[in-house]
Amino acid sequence: MTQLKLIMTWLGGLLLLVGIVGIIESGAADVFLEATRPDFQKISLGVAEIQNAGGPDWLAGRIEEVLKNDVRRSLVFDLVDLPSLGIQAAGVHQGKGAGSKAIFKQAAEKGVSVLVWGAASMKNSGEQADVNMEGFVYDSGSDELVGGKRYAGSPSVVRQMAHRFADELVFRYTGEPGIARTKIAYVAEQGTARELFVMDYDGYDARQLTADGFLNLMPQWSPDRRFLIFTAYRNRSTQDIDMIELATGKRWTVISFGGLNITPALSPDGNFLAFASSYEGNSEIYRLDTRTKVIQRLTVNPSGDLSPSWSPNGREMVFVSDRGGGPQLFLMSSDGSNVRRLTFEGDYNAAPVWSPRGNWIAYVCRTHKEYKLCIISPDGQKRLQLTTGHGVDDSPSWSPDGRHLAFSSTADGKSHIYMIDADGKGRERLTFQGTHNSAPSWSPAW
Amino acid sequence: MKKTFWTCGSMLVVGIAFIAMQGCASKSVQSGGDSQSTQGTAKGGADSSKSGVGTFPDTGVQSGGGGLRGLDKNPSEERLGGGTGQAKMDSSTISGRQMEEIRAEQAASAAAGLKDVFFAYDSWAISEEGRQALSIDADWMKSNPNAMVKVEGHCDERGTTAYNFVLGEKRAKAARNYLVELGVLANRLSVVSYGKERPSCNEHTEACYQQNRRGRIIIKTAK
Repeated sequence: MTQLKLIMTWLGGLLLLVGIVGIIESGAADVFLEATRPDFQKISLGVAEIQNAGGPDWLAGRIEEVLKNDVRRSLVFDLVDLPSLGIQAAGVHQGKGAGSKAIFKQAAEKGVSVLVWGAASMKNSGEQADVNMEGFVYDSGSDELVGGKRYAGSPSVVRQMAHRFADELVFRYTGEPGIARTKIAYVAEQGTARELFVMDYDGYDARQLTADGFLNLMPQWSPDRRFLIFTAYRNRSTQDIDMIELATGKRWTVISFGGLNITPALSPDGNFLAFASSYEGNSEIYRLDTRTKVIQRLTVNPSGDLSPSWSPNGREMVFVSDRGGGPQLFLMSSDGSNVRRLTFEGDYNAAPVWSPRGNWIAYVCRTHKEYKLCIISPDGQKRLQLTTGHGVDDSPSWSPDGRHLAFSSTADGKSHIYMIDADGKGRERLTFQGTHNSAPSWSPAW
Repeated sequence: MKKTFWTCGSMLVVGIAFIAMQGCASKSVQSGGDSQSTQGTAKGGADSSKSGVGTFPDTGVQSGGGGLRGLDKNPSEERLGGGTGQAKMDSSTISGRQMEEIRAEQAASAAAGLKDVFFAYDSWAISEEGRQALSIDADWMKSNPNAMVKVEGHCDERGTTAYNFVLGEKRAKAARNYLVELGVLANRLSVVSYGKERPSCNEHTEACYQQNRRGRIIIKTAK
């Protein structure tokens, strides 16, 4: 009997491996399309020029650079290089919002669906400086001047102008708000302390949020983006769960039970907090009704249960349990019923996050002794390893459009924050300063 | 050929998932019947009188359609407010005070000759060497009956931040339990897990990893 079992296990493992390899070999393209949307063709878009209409030399170039990067990262558009297509687009802004019919014709002939141009200027300097930006859009498919935007503000919001315009483009063509104005919260080492920071989604404009000199860890956004909820330590001895309001910096404790108090996650409607606590012995998952303060224990198990992540409709959670030995992913209904194991490959699967579109769960998988990012479909049928190579990859967090993941990695030595497309392509490093950056959490969309 | 792989693979995944799910199902029945574990929560698993819950603001999503107004044929000017909507951080003196207290704790622990206990990868088992270290710690605690001690669980950088808190707690509790076995009163010992967030060294080498997989015995100097 034992022998038979052994053979079956061995055979099962081998065939499972073959199966997975088969999926990876043949399914990568399908997986990517599903990670975005099944019928989505990228729209070719060219940024003609951002004209310097009076101001410092860097201004128009900065806006053009930020805008192009946003367009590229949207994954909605295919950013085309107009000069390499033989389109001489300089001068399109001479017609202001009307553009240039000759350039429109060229773009249409070369298959460029959307043409974007604009101008930037700055009046005065120092405290009085005032930046203006305008951007316009021509759609060659409908041969239509779609319209434009005009922004004004201080020099500190120049990048925000470009981000906002990029999000308008995404909104115009998908009806979704875009991710160019989103933020990433993360933890940065400051001496021996770890403090919370928030930066733009492209790694710029990092701002420190906490400064208590000890450990402030694993931030998660509230659904309305006004708060971060995170793990901290009272007197360096007791773990609590705290909240901080971004606009005011006001901070307070929401869970102080003793023991471990980690991995807080607010439900999509903000009405429940799921978290792990060991105040009754070992780490278990609890669900707190934030209005009535009624608390419910969801897992009942002598092993460690942690890292709950809500499905987008709030009905289910994925979580980690080491009830079988090493950590594995499990699913349950958000009342703790209907528990079933999701991952079977490998002896270490942890840090799960349910994608905003619901169709994938990203997590950290251990493979060949390395900690890498994987995604698995909630029915367990499809699995894909997104990162390879050396270094510990940790703390995946989905962009609100479900097309990217932020994560930390020691691939370049020190731990830094990276982003990657949901198909494992487009890896980009976001932080370059500091000694240790970790635990990124991508904000909801604006 | 590739298609065959697919079909074959999928069928096997289903098959294996089925086998594994059966094992899982029997387990959840078992834990569901474990009435002892459900104690501590009131009827229906709910307990509204639990202390230690702070105030929660309403964090539900506000309507507003992302604040985008759409592209306009004759766009009017939108003025963007200054910056990030984030408060200027209050750099108080707390940071410096904590640093001093941490130094004081560590100095007191070192002066007392307290020994750390080290662990194997993925493990929280106390080794023979660990037992020797902890017996030195236990002797010191018996001859200093007023001292309160904190057992810190630490992990190396491998693995996830989240799961390493659980692993760190298992290590700290294993050390704490052995000290109790050696006759130290449990109420003199507290346990805290720092996961992989307070490493003693930062290289990606086994020697460094071994340093970081430790239970630290620290004399509590603050309340």
